[in-house]
Amino acid sequence: MKTTLIVGGIAVLLIIFFVAQYNRLIRLNVAVDEAFAQIEVQLKRRADLIPNLVETVKGYAAHEQSTFDAVITARAKATTAISVADVSAADGMMTQALRGLLAVAEAYPDLKASANFMSLQEELSTTENKVAFSRQFYNDNVRLLNTAVKTIPTNFFAGFAKVAEREFYEVDEATNRNAPNVSF
Amino acid sequence: MATVSFRAAQSANKRKTFLLLGAMGALTWLVLLSIFTYLGTSSAAIVPFAVGLTLISVWASYYGSDKLVLTMTGAKQIQESDNPKLFGLIQEITIASGLPMPKVAIVEDSAPNAFATGRNPEHALIAFTTGILDAMDRDQLQGVIAHEMAHVGNRDTLVSAVAATTAGAIALISDMLMRIMFFGGGRRDRDNNGNPLMLVVSLVVLILAPIAAVMLKSAISRKRESLADATAVAFTRNPAGLRSALEVLAADSTVVHQKSTAVAHIWIESPLDGSSVSKMFASHPPIQERIATLRAMESLS
Repeated sequence: MKTTLIVGGIAVLLIIFFVAQYNRLIRLNVAVDEAFAQIEVQLKRRADLIPNLVETVKGYAAHEQSTFDAVITARAKATTAISVADVSAADGMMTQALRGLLAVAEAYPDLKASANFMSLQEELSTTENKVAFSRQFYNDNVRLLNTAVKTIPTNFFAGFAKVAEREFYEVDEATNRNAPNVSF
Repeated sequence: MATVSFRAAQSANKRKTFLLLGAMGALTWLVLLSIFTYLGTSSAAIVPFAVGLTLISVWASYYGSDKLVLTMTGAKQIQESDNPKLFGLIQEITIASGLPMPKVAIVEDSAPNAFATGRNPEHALIAFTTGILDAMDRDQLQGVIAHEMAHVGNRDTLVSAVAATTAGAIALISDMLMRIMFFGGGRRDRDNNGNPLMLVVSLVVLILAPIAAVMLKSAISRKRESLADATAVAFTRNPAGLRSALEVLAADSTVVHQKSTAVAHIWIESPLDGSSVSKMFASHPPIQERIATLRAMESLS
C-alpha cells in the first residue's frame, strides 16, 4: 500500500515534469513563429510605403531612373520571399535600395522641404525601426529556443515535441558582402 | 560602477528586489512578534484589521491604477490620430518587447517627465508631459518610452503595490499601538512573558518599524528604476538614447507642478525636490548614477 503510493506519487511528478518540458518547447517554438510573422508584417508595411515614396521623389527627380528601378526590384523580391533566408536577403536588398533613394533625395532641397516627403520620411524611419526591432525580437526568441533545444533537460524532449533549432535572421548588407575590387 | 551588460544589470536588479521584498516580509514578521510580546496574543486582532484596511485601499488603487492615475495627474488619453509620430515610436517598442500596445496619455505640463501605470500589461497606460515631447529628439524619446514599457513588462505597478501594502499595514499597526498605549491600554496579561528586555526591544521595533518599512519601500522603488533602465536597453539595444534623455532631464530644473507624494514614484524623474528628501527615502536612484550606468553599457557595445 505504502509503496504503491510512493511509486504513484513519483509517476505523477514525472508526468508533470514531462508535460512542463514539452509545453515549454512548444511555447518557445510558437513564439519564434509569431516573431517571424511580425517581421513579415513590418516588411509588408515598408513595401506598401514604397510606391508613394517613389512617386513623391519622381516628382522632383524624374531622371534618377536606376535608383527607382533598384527599389522596385527589391520590392518585388520582398513580396515573393517565404523562407527565412530569402526574406532576410530581400530585406537587406530593400534596405540598401531605400538608402539609395533617400541619398538621391538629399540632392534635391525642394523635395526635402516638401511636407509630403517629410511625413513619408518619418513614416519610413519608424517602419525601419519596427523592422529592426522585429528582427531583434525574432532573434531573441530563436536564441531562447535554440538554448532550450541544446540544454538539459529540455534537449531530451526536443525530438518528441518535434521542435528543432531554428535559423537566426541575418540581414545581408550588400555593402558588407561586396568588398571593393582593388586592382593593381 | 564596473561595466555591466544590460542582461547582468537586469538579473542583479531582479535579485535585489527579491532580497528587499524578503526583508519586507522579515520586517512584518518582526513587527508581529513584537506585538505579541508587548500586548499578548489577545490584542492580535488589530493585525488582520490593519492588513485588511491597507489591502483594500492599496489594491483598489492598484486595480484601477490606469484610471485613477489619469485623474490624479490630470493626464488626457489620446488616440493615434492625435500624435502619429509618438504612436509610431511606442509601436516600435511594443515590437521590440513583445508587449501589447498600451493606452497613451498626455499631461499638459512644460516640465519634461513621463510615467507608466496599469495593473498588468493588458491594462497598461503610459503618459508623457507636453514638455518631454517638445524637449526630446527621436532617440531620446525612444529611450524614455522603452523605460516606461520596461516598467509595464516588469510589472512594477504590482511590485510597488505589494511594497505599499506592507509599508502601509506596518505604519497602521504601529500607529494603532501608540494610541492604545497612550490611552492607558496595553498589556493586560503581564504575567505571560515577563522578560523586561524583550518588552523594551519590541517597543523599539514597533517605533522604528514604520520608518524601516518606508526605507525598504523606497529601496525597492530605486531598484525597480535601475531595472527599468536595464530592461529599456534590452528593448532598444541603444543605451545612448536613454542616457541622453536622462541628461536632458538632469539639466532641466523645472519639475512637474503637482507634487503629490502619492504618485511621485511613478514618474521617470522624481518630481520631488531632491535636496529635501534624503537619499535613503528617495524613490529614484540619483540621476547621475543612472547616466553613469548607461554610459558603462554604451562602452560595451
